[in-house]
Amino acid sequence: MTEIADTPSPDVPGGAAGTGLDIRSLGQLLYMGAIGFGALALLLWALAQWNEGGAGEAVDAVTGTITLSLFGEPPQLDSTRGTDAVSFNILGHTMEGLLRYDADNRLVGGVAERWQIDDAKATFWLRPDARWSNGEPITAHDFVFAWRKVLDPLNASEYAFILYGLKNAEAVNRGEMPLESVAVFALDDRTLEVHLERPVPYFDKLVAFATYNPINQAFYESREGRYAADADDLLFNGPFTIASWVHGASIRLEKNERYWDADRIRLNAIDYAYFTTDSNAIINLFKDGKTALAGLVAENLDDALQRRWRIKRFSDGAVFFMEFNHREDRLTRNYHLRKAIQVVNDSPELVYRVIKLPGNLPGASLFPVWLKGVDGYFRQEYPLADPPPDDDLGRRHLATAIDELDLDGPPTLVMLVGDSPTAKKQAEYYQNVYKQKLGIDIKIDAQIFKQRLAKMTAGDFDIVMAGWGPDYDDPMTFADLFASWNENNRGRYSNAELDEAVDIARSSSDPATRMDAMAKVQQILYDDAVIVVNYERGSVYVSHPRLKGVVRRAVGTDPDYTGAWID
Amino acid sequence: MAEGTLSWERVEVEREVETVARPSLSYWQDAWIRLRANRRALISLYLVIALMAFTVLGPFVWTVDPAAQDLDQISVPPGADRVATVVDDYRPWDGATATPIEGDGGELAAPGAVEIADQATTNAVRLYWDPVAGAGGYRVYRNKYDPEPDGALGLPIGEILSPANVSFEDRLDLKAETYFYSVVALDGAGREAVGYTTVTADVTRVITAAEALDKGLIEDISDVAPGDTVKMAFHPLGTDYLGRDLLARLMHGARVSLFIGIVAPFLFVIIGILYGSAAGFMGGRTDQVLMRFADFVVALPFLLFMILLRILFNVESGDSGVGPMLVAMVMLSWPAAARLVRGQILQIREEGYIGASRLLGAKTNYLILRHMIPNTMGVILVTLTFAVPSAIFTEAFLSFIGMGVAPPTPSWGSMCNEGLKTMLTTPHELIAPAAFISITVLAFNLLGDGLRDALDARMRATE
Repeated sequence: MTEIADTPSPDVPGGAAGTGLDIRSLGQLLYMGAIGFGALALLLWALAQWNEGGAGEAVDAVTGTITLSLFGEPPQLDSTRGTDAVSFNILGHTMEGLLRYDADNRLVGGVAERWQIDDAKATFWLRPDARWSNGEPITAHDFVFAWRKVLDPLNASEYAFILYGLKNAEAVNRGEMPLESVAVFALDDRTLEVHLERPVPYFDKLVAFATYNPINQAFYESREGRYAADADDLLFNGPFTIASWVHGASIRLEKNERYWDADRIRLNAIDYAYFTTDSNAIINLFKDGKTALAGLVAENLDDALQRRWRIKRFSDGAVFFMEFNHREDRLTRNYHLRKAIQVVNDSPELVYRVIKLPGNLPGASLFPVWLKGVDGYFRQEYPLADPPPDDDLGRRHLATAIDELDLDGPPTLVMLVGDSPTAKKQAEYYQNVYKQKLGIDIKIDAQIFKQRLAKMTAGDFDIVMAGWGPDYDDPMTFADLFASWNENNRGRYSNAELDEAVDIARSSSDPATRMDAMAKVQQILYDDAVIVVNYERGSVYVSHPRLKGVVRRAVGTDPDYTGAWID
Repeated sequence: MAEGTLSWERVEVEREVETVARPSLSYWQDAWIRLRANRRALISLYLVIALMAFTVLGPFVWTVDPAAQDLDQISVPPGADRVATVVDDYRPWDGATATPIEGDGGELAAPGAVEIADQATTNAVRLYWDPVAGAGGYRVYRNKYDPEPDGALGLPIGEILSPANVSFEDRLDLKAETYFYSVVALDGAGREAVGYTTVTADVTRVITAAEALDKGLIEDISDVAPGDTVKMAFHPLGTDYLGRDLLARLMHGARVSLFIGIVAPFLFVIIGILYGSAAGFMGGRTDQVLMRFADFVVALPFLLFMILLRILFNVESGDSGVGPMLVAMVMLSWPAAARLVRGQILQIREEGYIGASRLLGAKTNYLILRHMIPNTMGVILVTLTFAVPSAIFTEAFLSFIGMGVAPPTPSWGSMCNEGLKTMLTTPHELIAPAAFISITVLAFNLLGDGLRDALDARMRATE
């Protein structure tokens, strides 16, 4: 708003003559101004330099250091309570469980030297040379302590369910039994025995998951509730230690000389010098030679081609789908309404025209293509018929649904989505698809991750765009998602037939029986239109030409720099 | 001395001196003449009128649905080529299989020959190749540039995890240009061989007859036969990231922007006039209390207030936030107008003609309506014209940060936000709405400047 003065401004002739300022003082003023300006510029320059301090080149062969960007501050480095990808990534570099995945994604011994698993129990023999970063040996008691902590109701671990294969674990987690009744025993310092609630054919894959990591009890208690709050409040047993952690700004990992397999580690330090989720910022850091690895998004593919970067791809294993709300009071409980939405869905169009990023695959089944079945790939052994979209069939289903639900016309549905640009773009695409093909109005409810999760849990949606990434390398990590007892079944779908198939799949020790049951789950999810699968997520990325041996994978630490080296 | 009679003659008064040569001008006529003399302001005025026409009449002329997605023409710039060849419907391709050849354990060779099956079209490019001895799978790359000489193969477009399958169908975001496809063999563990074979594909833009009918490009499906060409839908300003027509979106987006931009200032200026003239006329303690309250309102933070109002109005994230935006702007922006009017009224109250009018028995209402309001009109109008661009800008800003309209409704601000993400690859998506915001704001500002010069003689800029 422009201020308007009450009195007219006097007409002052221009020039310095009338102002009483003589030439000499004007020159002095200019001189002082120039000095001041120069000093200010120098100060700002110095500040800018100082700010960029810590971060070096993308790869530094002399010191064996690589510099990277991270999606953000790891929210929870306490392995019993961590749930997010950033924390699991740091934990994957600094901690080690009983087993781990090698560069070819095979399970190999971590802290455990040998192991034996049968239907009733699992036994792990620990390495004598496995040590904590303070020099103390890792004992079976460290595992017993950590696993009890996970199941302690007071700890409120969101991943407690992943230990439910242990005898009494679920009851303990519900507070119905004392902590000591969890059937995990340290027979001696180097032998760990686990009694299983039911046969868990994939227990070896489970213990590679971060929630199964050991914790040194004496150290944990000495921190008095500050465990994992800072670099000094953690004890490491993995390939790297956290050397410095500037909260909200950077994390520096350095090689752990006390790691039992330290010879395997060829990098001396990993410097996560930048925290950002902005894909353009990540690319620019890579472009400027400040970081050694960067993921690409559809918008900068052309630029990447022009710069003749060597582009690599990988699948992060996650599946994205639209989940319906099956609660009593929801329209989407109606089978025909869901079916109408399912049969007009055109996943290839979404992937090839809208997402436009190589690596993504059009989805049909909750079970992604990389999962192993009995002998080969699960999806090749149990293919799921996925007919092309049929708009007429969709309209017929919708007409039936409108009839059954006694509606006046196509309903308005609320679609809950994340707040990322990609999520919003997909939501707008679907909004148009369902408007054009079925006349259904979609209201897009874009929320930040935490809020979306809260709304999903509360059932405050008709359709939610959700995704699920694998925790362990077995189709089971997907299969039980829509069992009626699963907390992550946000739409509260409940089907006795599906529950039964899940039970067979998770407890049978015969691979063929298990996979048959999984295939049944796959078929029910499709036939009953429980969800509409959109795509299997993949990604493309570029890395520094001298950085070798980085492993990208769907299950386990990703990206994994433990075996990386500078060429 | 000569005798004579004194004859007094009436001197003719030259009445012409008092005749007004030109017709008398009212305040408004004078202002209009002054405004017309100001070319900048006049052009701005025409721009504002054109903008109104664009918003109100535009959608009747350009009847494209702003929410319709033309997925065959995503992010096309203005003036792109839009000729497409009609082809048969897309049918899934079975691909090509080969008996895997056992390797000798040595280095994997490059595939012997990579061929393109059928025609390379924007629907699909189908590749097949000779199997490589010992390969466990293949990876297919696509580049817009020649991989030679440094072997930059481009985008890893596909991965085949079985040695028996020696074909790949590319459907990813195909444009009508030349692509370089390279095929590399993978060993059993998924490691890439060094050798690669490249094939060039000249992709032609195609459309199926059914799609053409669906999009209204042809009248009847029998009108075209495969091989004919049709012209794809015309988008004068290009399309956005979902193939929506930018011109149509700008027209519809202008509705929101101009609605907020004109209604909000109009409302808060009226409130400001009433409040300010009351305070100014009554004076004394009442004036003090009223103006201190105005100061308090000025201190309220707008964004916070806006968020609170959204909660109060129970606006979910999928609903339009235009209502609360309007209310928040009206509730928080009136004090500026009130202060100006109060200042004017305070000044006018002491003028001689007011005293004269009062002596002649004028009532308060008459004083305010006949003398005070008309004399503040210039200031008020100027305030109004300057408030319009700032309101448009506020709307654009709030929509930009996602607190304005809900998708798919466009507004200039939200269009800028969307265009920003693809600024480097498809700048037209950002330039169009940004240019409209800039031109509109500039036009209103220059018009306001001209109006101030024209309406308030004392405030005239000395140029």
